[in-house]
Amino acid sequence: MIVRIFDSDIYSGVLFYQQKWKISQLMKRTYLGEFEEIVLLTVAVMEGQAYGVALMNEITEQTGRDVRLNQVHSALQRLEEKGMVKSALGEPTAERGGRRKRLFTVSAYGHRTLQEIQEVRVGFWSRLVNPFRLSVQIN
Amino acid sequence: MRQPNLQPPSLATRLLVWFIAPHLLEAIQGDLYEGFQYNVVHLGIGKARWLYWREVFGFFKPMYIKRKQNLYSSSSTISHIMIRNYFKIAFRNIKNNKAYTLINVSGLTLGMTCGLIIFMLVKYHLSFDNFHSNADRVYRIVTEQHRDNVSYQRSVPAPLGKVFRNEYTFAENVARITTYNQALITLKNGNNLKKFKEEEGVAFAETDFFEIFNYPLLEGNKQTVLTEPNTAIMTQKTAKKYFGDENPIGKVFWFDNKIAFTVTGILKDFPENTDRKTGIYASYVTLKTYDSWLGSDDSWGGINSSVQCFVRLRPGVSVAQVENVFPAYPKKYRPNSKNVHHYKLQPLSEVHFDARYDGPMEKRNLWILSVIGLFLIATACVNFVNLATAQAFKRSKEVGVRKVLGGLQAQLFWQFISETFLISALAIVVSVVLSYLVLPVVNSFFNTQMSLNVFTDVQLILFVLGLGIIVTFFAGSYPGLVLARFQPIIALKGKLSQASIGGFNTRRMLIVAQFTISQMLIIGMVVIVSQMQYTRQADLGFNKDAIVMIPLGIDTTGVKMKTLKSQIEDIAGVEKATLCFTAPSSQQAWNTGIRFDNQLEDVSFQTSIKAADADYVPTFGLQMVAGRNVFPADSVKEFLVNEAFTRKLNFKTPQDAIGKVIGANGGTMEGPIVGIVKDFHDRSLHEDITPVAITTYNDNYSDLAVKVNLSNVKNTLTALEQAWIAKYPDQIFESQFLDENIARFYETEDRMLKLIEMFSFIAILIGSLGLYGLVSFMAAQKTKEIGIRKVLGSGVTQILWIFGKEFSMLILVAFVIAAPVGWWVMNSWLQDFKFRIQMNFWTFASAIFITFFVAAITVAYKSLRAALLDPVKSLRSE
Repeated sequence: MIVRIFDSDIYSGVLFYQQKWKISQLMKRTYLGEFEEIVLLTVAVMEGQAYGVALMNEITEQTGRDVRLNQVHSALQRLEEKGMVKSALGEPTAERGGRRKRLFTVSAYGHRTLQEIQEVRVGFWSRLVNPFRLSVQIN
Repeated sequence: MRQPNLQPPSLATRLLVWFIAPHLLEAIQGDLYEGFQYNVVHLGIGKARWLYWREVFGFFKPMYIKRKQNLYSSSSTISHIMIRNYFKIAFRNIKNNKAYTLINVSGLTLGMTCGLIIFMLVKYHLSFDNFHSNADRVYRIVTEQHRDNVSYQRSVPAPLGKVFRNEYTFAENVARITTYNQALITLKNGNNLKKFKEEEGVAFAETDFFEIFNYPLLEGNKQTVLTEPNTAIMTQKTAKKYFGDENPIGKVFWFDNKIAFTVTGILKDFPENTDRKTGIYASYVTLKTYDSWLGSDDSWGGINSSVQCFVRLRPGVSVAQVENVFPAYPKKYRPNSKNVHHYKLQPLSEVHFDARYDGPMEKRNLWILSVIGLFLIATACVNFVNLATAQAFKRSKEVGVRKVLGGLQAQLFWQFISETFLISALAIVVSVVLSYLVLPVVNSFFNTQMSLNVFTDVQLILFVLGLGIIVTFFAGSYPGLVLARFQPIIALKGKLSQASIGGFNTRRMLIVAQFTISQMLIIGMVVIVSQMQYTRQADLGFNKDAIVMIPLGIDTTGVKMKTLKSQIEDIAGVEKATLCFTAPSSQQAWNTGIRFDNQLEDVSFQTSIKAADADYVPTFGLQMVAGRNVFPADSVKEFLVNEAFTRKLNFKTPQDAIGKVIGANGGTMEGPIVGIVKDFHDRSLHEDITPVAITTYNDNYSDLAVKVNLSNVKNTLTALEQAWIAKYPDQIFESQFLDENIARFYETEDRMLKLIEMFSFIAILIGSLGLYGLVSFMAAQKTKEIGIRKVLGSGVTQILWIFGKEFSMLILVAFVIAAPVGWWVMNSWLQDFKFRIQMNFWTFASAIFITFFVAAITVAYKSLRAALLDPVKSLRSE
């Protein structure tokens, strides 16, 4: 539908640009950074129990990377701005010095995006004529 | 696993709390805390602390620091849309409150115009002689004379420059210049004479003068124009005056009918900001012909104020180095004289400002003016604040509605600032125009040549812009803050109390400040007026009325003056006449050392020698205390001295001095004291009475003092002129009344007086504008109170007293501050006069009376209207 407006010549120049700008905004949203993707996946995996430190620990365990809290938080914030996660404050707990957690869940849009990414990758993998053999690893 | 006692580093936490946006803080802090506790268990406390710090710094990023936008403010405070809105509202308000705007704009305009003019004046004076290359190395050699007191001379003995140049290499250039004011310039064309009086005179200058000072030569060779005798150069303007459009090079003019000069070069006209106004420069070698003593190499005996010596030191040469070699000169060249001469270097930058050395404008006066200017601008701002806060009450509803509809405090603040900005911009435009109109008056008043170039003068543009911005914020920020802080509910319900409007007290304080300033200015004015009156009416010890001073013409034979005197004595309206050097009271003086009673050394004080014939005492009505008048003579035979002279020599009674022989001028003028005259003021009242000796000495007579009968002055003056012209047909007649001459001693004070008069008038005007605003506000506030009072039976006078009480208090408080400060300032001003008035009760009474009077007039109208208002009307409005 967006593309149709883009093609049409009924619209004057100004609108054309406005639309173009909107499209680029929208297209940008579907783009996910590699780290963001991992965070989003982790949030999905943790099913409602995802918050800053827990996410950091999980990612460190699963990927073996040295992840810092502020990186996780900024990724979460960007994901939230893009509408892929939602957040809500949980109950205060003692191990946090009486502070509440901000718990993250994946939104429908986030789910769809993850799926799209997955589909694109699967598509590519399936077209791979000569899949890598595990035996050809470095000794 | 739980070890809740271990806390993360508190400093790091505090840092975090400080910079993280509040809406992000809780989750982040919680996460950090949890991570810290985990790390304590698994990695140990030290490592955990370190990691905590690292994480805290990790959050130092814009995305965490940036505060959340208020959801309800769609446009930011200073966006172009809001700015447009601010100005639109401001315009509407200005249009709707014309009287208010008028009061404000006129108050600010007055203050700003004064500020602008004063700025111009200060800038003009600070720019003097700043266009010479390497001006920081240029000095004038000046003399301090240490006798029983220290006196300062801008000049040095004429040969000093020459020997300094020959003996030392400290200076790149040394230039002597000798200036004679009031020169008579004559152009001879056959029998046709053209006479000119050159006020600024003729200067004999060495070539180096034009190396040191940047006065470029348009025609002629800089190196050679002033090397030959009888050559001269002049400025374009002067050349044009004498020779019109003809080529002036090679033309001849006569100076004082003594010397003919050939023009060899033309100087570019000097800029206005230089103290050097002389238009004609003659070669220094010719000075010998004009004044053989000054032009010679051994005129070390005295200092003539027309001689000046400028040097430009080599780079790296210090003032102390040069001043160290000077003491040798008086020892070597003035062996007989006591060591009273101390030569000093005066930087060129101080020449214009050092009054001791005849600098025309003291820096102190510039400071005083600046402070007054600042005061006036401040009172105008205060005024604005006053009126604006009074106005605030009316606008409380507007503010309430704006706030309810989502107006932010900052937006409201900027809205009021932009209103102030419009008003002050308007005031600036008007005051620039006003300054344009006033500038010619100011110029003639201060004898300056300032010009207002609003579009090219960068400093001026910056000043005007700065003034606008400062005034806007100074005047606008307080009312802006007050208005922006209104609580919408209270404002809309109309329940604003005075306290929430920013305090009646603040405005009271401002009014007190204004009255303090006005009263201080009035005290200053009254003191100056009375001192000036005192100087005008003080008994100077001689008769200064109806005396015409006529400078004698130039006459090489020296006999014309005697015949002129006897002819003039025969004129009908002339009562007496005397030939003399100066009037008893004069700014010219010849001071010299005296040898007393055949001693070989001069006494320690200087005596002012007044050469005059035997008619001097009767013409000026000097009173004899002892002895008799001198007998007529042509040379020094006898002396009259004043009481101060006998006091200095420690005579018990004046009588004792009679018969003692004194020798003046290095012993060359010798004679006995035959009479003592009563002390008279021989200088302005700024100075003490100096020891004076009067003697007959033809060579020194330069004026004819004529006492005329005032009944037919006009005819007498014409007759005087005719007699004079008949004697000196090739010269120009001038005459001046002595009392006018003496009044000119106090030109500076007169100017100061007029300035203070004007400034205090403006200060009072601005102050009463503010007062008017305040009383209108009060009247509006008290409408109901007055209504109730009237219903309960109080009379008009009682109600008027409500207002009167208020303002009397304010004026009294202001007076308590102004009186001591004014006393202190004016007392130090009076210290400049050796003979002065005492400040008395009436000085201060008049200050308080004037302010009281003005305040009463201002307050009366509004308060009377409030008092006369029908209570039915005032009480019905609910």
